[in-house]
Amino acid sequence: MKDFLTKVTDLAVQKFGAEYAEIRAQKLFKTMLTVKDGRIEAAKQGIENGVALRVLVNGAWGFASVGTFDIETLTSAISDACRMAKTASLKLKTPIKLVETKTVEDKISVKPKKNPAEISVEDKIDTALAVNNTVRGYDKRVKSCTIDYLDLTGTNYFLNNEGTYIEQDKLYVWSRILATASEANVLTFSREEIGSTAGYEVFDVETPEIVGKRAAKRAVEQLKAKPPRGGNFPAVLGPNVVGVFVHEAFGHLAEADLTLSGSVLLGKLGKKIASDVVTFYDDGTIEGAFGSFKYDDEGVPTQKTLLVKDGIVVGLMHNRETAHKFDAKPTGNARAEDFRFEPIIRMRNTFMEPKDHSFEELLEDIKFGYYLKSFRGGQANLDGTFQVGIQEAYEITNGELGDPVRNASISGNTLETLLKVDAVGKDFELWPGRCGKGQTAFIGDGGPHVRVKEVLIGGSA
Amino acid sequence: MAALNQEKTVELAEKTVDFALKKGADEAEAFVYQGLTTNISIERGQIAKSARIIDHGLGIRVILNKAVGFSYTNILKSGEAVEETVLKAIKSAKASKPDKEWRGLPTKNSFPSVKDTYDNKIFELHPEDLVKAASIMLDAAEKTDKRVFPIEGGVGVSHLSKAIANSNGVQGFDRGTFVECSLATVGREGSEVTPVCFEFNAERKYDINPEWVGREAARLAVSALKAKKIETKSTNVIFTQFALQQLLYYTLINAVKADYVQRNQSALKDKIGEKVASEKVTIYDDGLFKGGLRTWRFDGEGVPQQKTLIIEKGILRNFIYDNYTARREERESTGNASRAGYLSTPNVEATNFHFLPGKQSQEELINNAKEGLLVYYLQGAHSSNPASGEFSVVATPAWVIKNGEIAYAARGVMLAGNIFDVLMNVSALANNERKIGQLVAPWILVENVKVIGK
Repeated sequence: MKDFLTKVTDLAVQKFGAEYAEIRAQKLFKTMLTVKDGRIEAAKQGIENGVALRVLVNGAWGFASVGTFDIETLTSAISDACRMAKTASLKLKTPIKLVETKTVEDKISVKPKKNPAEISVEDKIDTALAVNNTVRGYDKRVKSCTIDYLDLTGTNYFLNNEGTYIEQDKLYVWSRILATASEANVLTFSREEIGSTAGYEVFDVETPEIVGKRAAKRAVEQLKAKPPRGGNFPAVLGPNVVGVFVHEAFGHLAEADLTLSGSVLLGKLGKKIASDVVTFYDDGTIEGAFGSFKYDDEGVPTQKTLLVKDGIVVGLMHNRETAHKFDAKPTGNARAEDFRFEPIIRMRNTFMEPKDHSFEELLEDIKFGYYLKSFRGGQANLDGTFQVGIQEAYEITNGELGDPVRNASISGNTLETLLKVDAVGKDFELWPGRCGKGQTAFIGDGGPHVRVKEVLIGGSA
Repeated sequence: MAALNQEKTVELAEKTVDFALKKGADEAEAFVYQGLTTNISIERGQIAKSARIIDHGLGIRVILNKAVGFSYTNILKSGEAVEETVLKAIKSAKASKPDKEWRGLPTKNSFPSVKDTYDNKIFELHPEDLVKAASIMLDAAEKTDKRVFPIEGGVGVSHLSKAIANSNGVQGFDRGTFVECSLATVGREGSEVTPVCFEFNAERKYDINPEWVGREAARLAVSALKAKKIETKSTNVIFTQFALQQLLYYTLINAVKADYVQRNQSALKDKIGEKVASEKVTIYDDGLFKGGLRTWRFDGEGVPQQKTLIIEKGILRNFIYDNYTARREERESTGNASRAGYLSTPNVEATNFHFLPGKQSQEELINNAKEGLLVYYLQGAHSSNPASGEFSVVATPAWVIKNGEIAYAARGVMLAGNIFDVLMNVSALANNERKIGQLVAPWILVENVKVIGK
């Protein structure tokens, strides 16, 4: 494979004068299932082979993607990419440069206890049906259950003209469970996700019974929930909500490409933006976590990156291009969904570091507020406006958990809100998720329980 | 690589179906997809990126004893790979369980003709032409105001083709072209950054105006500066097409899908013939809309696309169906099976969700609102409750309307409510219809929306 790929990058450099050329080849195999109310909509399997080529010519990027390993097609694709880059460079103001990195030659194999590629479709169907049966059997008010399952296995090959060559096995197991319940005129909705890069053994921990019950129980309990009051209230965020907050409200702003686009973190390196108890990491090294990998899609080793330490911004997430701009070290955050996409800066496992409070201590001083336990989507804007939808929440009255609350969401300005974090719990959870930034990335996020002095709750009551 | 031609793609689909039947499938369907895309991208104030993406593949659905199996491959050159894919689909079906509701693949039908979905000019364009268009857009934005920073955008063209064949004799081929130019900007002044502002053109023919897109994206960013907080209250809200599209995509559009209705996930279940919206609201799902972004001759399983009345002057008239959900109710599919290229089995999806426009100009609509909020985009619409239609989202950017005019930008504003209350409270529509994703709509004025501020 190496010699074959080298021929293609050599062509870019020798014939078209590319400053940089890289090639990513993929051989991927996927199994997917969708089960709706116990009906297997279709058992699906697919092969995706393809190649992504990226070149820098005259300081501009050229990218080409083709779904074949055919040498003629690749030769014409890389010629195309070089010519396109040259054309794009016509109006260039500042040529793109890449930070230097150590070249590596490496081969990464995955060693799952249970390799999803070796598990029969029948077994996967049985697992999905077991989840379905748990959800549907939980309570007769559960009206529907949809289960999506995906596993992906295969190998990524990376080669660039600087001498880096990496063969890296890929393995992802993911499942999402959606449950709805209804009673009288109330319709509720609940979502659970499972994700792992370790292997199919994730279902030994997140068993169909555990996950199914979690999804169903929430949908049913939301039936008697009330809408939240709208306005500013103190709140305790659960690890699942802290995770999505760190990811959405802070993390995206600290992706160096978005920082350069003018996110509110521009010019904030070394400055205090959060209260002293706030420390954030983005970590690609956690074994088995959904956002972990060994090398990113520019051939840079992953790492544990400190983003905020004791309230001060100390790092951003980089690819080779932004690292050069910031005169920083690359952090291994360049990721591409597959060969159809070019690598861009993405998060891995992003989380807040735990401190010293127990859950009860976090609640005790709150006269009236909300406990926001589980999220349903979130989104941030460059100006620091964030929104996190909440699928499970409770009132807090006089330091105690009270009635369930449904369809809440929280919003605010990231920097203002981070200064209002006044106590951080000692527990910790990491949750799998998927993030969209024009392409999908598998990520993890989490943290401990956290108290915020006040946050805007969007409610309809 | 040139596009696979019509004859070859249809032949590949038919041969694949034949092979599946020979290998024991009761029914089979093959879908061949090909996409060619060329993009020139703007990143942080300059044109610095180019891309050409060629993606093609074949998806095969087989049915054995009422159990469905599906497999796909993107290796089309080798007959062996295609045959292997068929065998995998058969194996999947055998591993699966029978679906007692399965009542067969669609039967043969003639396809309608569609207008303005294909432009030969796309093939004559060179990357230089796209660079030129991107450059015009960028210059227009930068010329407007020096506080504007274009963060990303670009110009792209694509050519898609699809072929389908099934064991009931359905056979079809269609192709389409798409052109898009877009620009996202922020306004920056001192330490203030605006939310991202965005404008675009998306058309089936090479009929875009990059100069206008650049200017508008810049104008929005400038007017989003100096935003103020507002009070919590219930007020009039004008939703632009961007905001409306985000809101409807996760709520109403799901609620009219037969799949959601049959599975008790829709608040509109059992409401056909009932009033579900203000009488100002008439909506079609129009799969044949002239030049529509989702206009095709046939849907993802080879059923002719059509125009379906969804809401007529506030009364719910129809849901949208694919073949499976339609046969469960012993009716005809409305041609709403959609698929993600060759990678997926069909799913019920809207085509062009057409909200009929009103007569007022944009200015008249703002004038009529008197007091309220003009909401351009929403943040967090995907966190809506898809079952009940309840939402709690951020409106950003948004502008305060005072005395019938736009007064200033608002920040930190949330909207909360239920999509069906919103539809009931639509009091007027503008005449400024445009296409955004699967929505074709004007600006709409809604009374009594809960706005949460400071």
